[in-house]
Amino acid sequence: MIATDTPNSSSLEAAGAAIGDPVAEVEASSRLPVLAMFGAGAFWLVISSVLGLISSIKFHSPDFLAGPAWLTYGRVRPAFVDSFLYGFCLQAGLAAGLWLVARLGRTALRPLPILAGAKLLNLGVILGVIGILQGDASGFDALNFPRYAAAMIFGGYVLIGVPAVLAFHRRAARTLFVSQWFLLAALFWFPWIYSTGSLLVVAFPLRGVAQPIIAWWYAANFQYVWMALVGLGIAFYLVPKVTGRELVSHNLALFTFWTLILFGSWTGIPRTAPVPAYLPAISTVTSVLSILTLVAVALAVWKTVDGNLGLLWGSRSLRFVAVGLACFLAAGVMNIVESLGTTGAITNFTWFTIARTHLLTYGFFAMTLFGAIYFVTPRVVGRELPFTKWVGVHFWLATLGMILGWAPLAVGGIVQGRKLLDPNAAFVDIAKSTLMFLRISTVGDLLMLAGHALLWINLGLLALGLARAACQGFVTEATAEVQPAGAKS
Amino acid sequence: MNHGPLIFLAAFIALAGSWFGVVLTPQLNVGQLQQTNTLNGALYPVARPGVAQQGLQVYRANGCVQCHSQQVGQTGTVFDVRVTEAGTNRVALNEALRKVKTGVSAPEAEQLLERLPLDVARFTNREDAEAAVKTLGVGGTKAHFLVVPVGPDMARGWGKRRSVAEDYLFDAPALPGGVRIGPDLANIGVRQPDINWHLRHLYAPRSEVKGSTMPSYPYLFEKRRAGREASPDALALTGKLAAEKGYEIVPTAEGKALAAYLVSLRSEAPLFISPISVASAAPAGGDTNAPAGGAGAATNAPATK
Amino acid sequence: MKVTTNQTAIMDVAEPKAVAGQVPVWLFVLGFVLLFWGMYYFDQRSGWFKTEVYAPYVSVADLQRYQPPTGGVDLGRGKAVFENVCALCHNPDGAGKPNQAPPLTGSEWVTGSPARIIRIPLAGLSGPIEVKGQQWNLSMPAMGAALSDEDLAATLTYMRQSWGNKASEVTPEMVKAIRTLLGNRSQPFTAAELLTVPEK
Repeated sequence: MIATDTPNSSSLEAAGAAIGDPVAEVEASSRLPVLAMFGAGAFWLVISSVLGLISSIKFHSPDFLAGPAWLTYGRVRPAFVDSFLYGFCLQAGLAAGLWLVARLGRTALRPLPILAGAKLLNLGVILGVIGILQGDASGFDALNFPRYAAAMIFGGYVLIGVPAVLAFHRRAARTLFVSQWFLLAALFWFPWIYSTGSLLVVAFPLRGVAQPIIAWWYAANFQYVWMALVGLGIAFYLVPKVTGRELVSHNLALFTFWTLILFGSWTGIPRTAPVPAYLPAISTVTSVLSILTLVAVALAVWKTVDGNLGLLWGSRSLRFVAVGLACFLAAGVMNIVESLGTTGAITNFTWFTIARTHLLTYGFFAMTLFGAIYFVTPRVVGRELPFTKWVGVHFWLATLGMILGWAPLAVGGIVQGRKLLDPNAAFVDIAKSTLMFLRISTVGDLLMLAGHALLWINLGLLALGLARAACQGFVTEATAEVQPAGAKS
Repeated sequence: MNHGPLIFLAAFIALAGSWFGVVLTPQLNVGQLQQTNTLNGALYPVARPGVAQQGLQVYRANGCVQCHSQQVGQTGTVFDVRVTEAGTNRVALNEALRKVKTGVSAPEAEQLLERLPLDVARFTNREDAEAAVKTLGVGGTKAHFLVVPVGPDMARGWGKRRSVAEDYLFDAPALPGGVRIGPDLANIGVRQPDINWHLRHLYAPRSEVKGSTMPSYPYLFEKRRAGREASPDALALTGKLAAEKGYEIVPTAEGKALAAYLVSLRSEAPLFISPISVASAAPAGGDTNAPAGGAGAATNAPATK
Repeated sequence: MKVTTNQTAIMDVAEPKAVAGQVPVWLFVLGFVLLFWGMYYFDQRSGWFKTEVYAPYVSVADLQRYQPPTGGVDLGRGKAVFENVCALCHNPDGAGKPNQAPPLTGSEWVTGSPARIIRIPLAGLSGPIEVKGQQWNLSMPAMGAALSDEDLAATLTYMRQSWGNKASEVTPEMVKAIRTLLGNRSQPFTAAELLTVPEK
């Protein structure tokens, strides 16, 4: 399918003439919602990292903070995962997506409903985290928020998503860039999977094993498909934009899009699940078929930079995206390893699966979002971040932290799995053999937390500076001398 | 692809496909399951007692599923041929035994036949097992074969057969789990039927299992003044863990419920879809799904949990 | 707040473009190879959407092969009891007699769930019932109530494995379990009531 450009907009765009609203206006309109959601997302990132650090310490020191009910591992860990997924990933992902939709379509956003939606979403996450710590967790990974929190998150999403779709519809630049397909599909994807998961598993649970089946379906669709749609949308924009080259190619991106949505949404049922055989079989087949998505993404990026991967290293924000893409490929390979019989038997039920999920959500999606945040924020605000050097520091903290955080878990998982298969290995010995890996991963979590703190402080100071500047203007006006009547000012 | 509606359509088709396949279809088959009959005619599963149902909510609220799975896997099924009663013709039986179990000399075979019931051989093929049973049935010898699920989980003693949808039929939430940082709990009620063991383990895991990395749950218990006699609920703790004189540690309602739930976890009943031979007589209909003691083949040595 | 020096860089306007290249052929070839493997894998491992099939079993027929046998039901004894007790109405070859008893050969009630066929002789059956597409409306007394567990099990197994019927054994344990469950019940079953008994 060759890209068909409508002659009018394309020639005008090629001529560099302004289509739709001027860029400055588009950026100004998205300033408040994007900043607010990035800032709130960074806040949740720090909170979830603290919770994650606590749960990470509890792996190898189970008596750490073991007293009160709300600090027990079984509550802190789901609070960490879900606040990360919904407080940061969902929110910052939507913000980056909003910016891209507005920018690529050259339409101004209407900030009011988006801000209301963001508030509702954040309220939902707050209540959800408190609910989990109180014991209201649903028990299902990625769907642990109790129903009242889930309803708010859904409501917040609708208030954000609908204006985004409308902005897309109103777009002045009619030719679509690749990223817009991914983002539009993502905007549609989430409400369907989230409402299905929340209604059929959390609010009005179906009978028996149908609950975990749908919970697994949701987790794969959210953590793999939705995050890949948004993350690849961002990556396919940033890589050509920052390197100044053209994306190769339109058809390859189309291939990526189709293989992702067709195959990705069927993955997710674990191989040994207590369900009829056709479900894990379908998941295995589609997980292997997802190789096509991985290869297409790698090929597109490779061809865009013409084999010169060093180009991806140049810009501070693009580095994050580069690492993110590498993690996407690695997580995809890990998924295939888990799905196939011989290797899957070893990695089943081990730290390996946890490592893969985190590599996908954090290593790919969060890193890509960091790149997007550092790219978008100066553009919407019109000025650099207060501490630009911290961006580089954050990059190293995040990359190192992620490698130290998840690689030992993957290796430890394999060690654990091989011992689990051996009936003569006592279970406590298995736990003991993973302790060293868990301690290393705690160090990684500490590094990641430090990086998140840097991001949050940076954004926070930026917001404070903006607020002060805005107030300054107001104060100056309010305290200006009153001009005598009749005198011209 | 320059039109929003086309993209919307593509996403719709893709998501609708997986929704039909992974959400709707399972709901139509496993989501509509009713109680089934075990191979002995008993109903399965039987709803858990009320306190165990509450215990399931405590299990959910405290995130036990973050470390424990509740699903037993199986990699294959084999047939164990077993001789239970030697008939009148010992010589013929000895010869038959050596035919079925090759590489055994006559005196060795005689020695084996001293101790009955004797597990003669293991086959992967039903026809071979049936042929072996026929061969061994000389002179009134009683021989039969047992259906034995095998796999790493069975070898570890975590279960006798694989978990199926019926094992979770009445559970809301149904939590088969996904990680085994702690041991699998699908049959913990069979391995550790003593509710007091569970209470002590929840209070101080390392007192019952050395080297365990499970956190303790002191908030499921309370310390209170002991009466003249220790209450029957009080935990029998020793050493540093025991309460000081005049006090006792008793479980709260939540603690008791969780322990009751754990003790109710058993899924060994033979089903058509997860077949296993059960040695002794079937329980009366409507009883719990635990077969009366010593079920299944004698080949699984119970390993540490 | 310091104002950046690369204001122009930040306010850059040009958006990236995607060139119209071709997807390499080998990618499609890889796709087809994987699809072919996928179909093969699905055929081998999926049980073709049957709810009863769980790995490692591959089909319901495969499952049948792994059903445990139970303590040797004596078919000869079953035949003898059948010819003495049941054949009077149902005919020695199980063909049934019009207006007297429905056929047993090829009957879905006989080859279906053991739970149902055990209940019929234990408590009797009356009222309308469809057998092999035909409606019957008669009344059968509890002919099996007086039989021992072993005898009734043997008879039912004989019925389920003769005259072209191919079904699993009925064991004395199963009969005993259902007999205990029914207790003192004296009222015959109706077809509707039997249909509510779970299949397996």
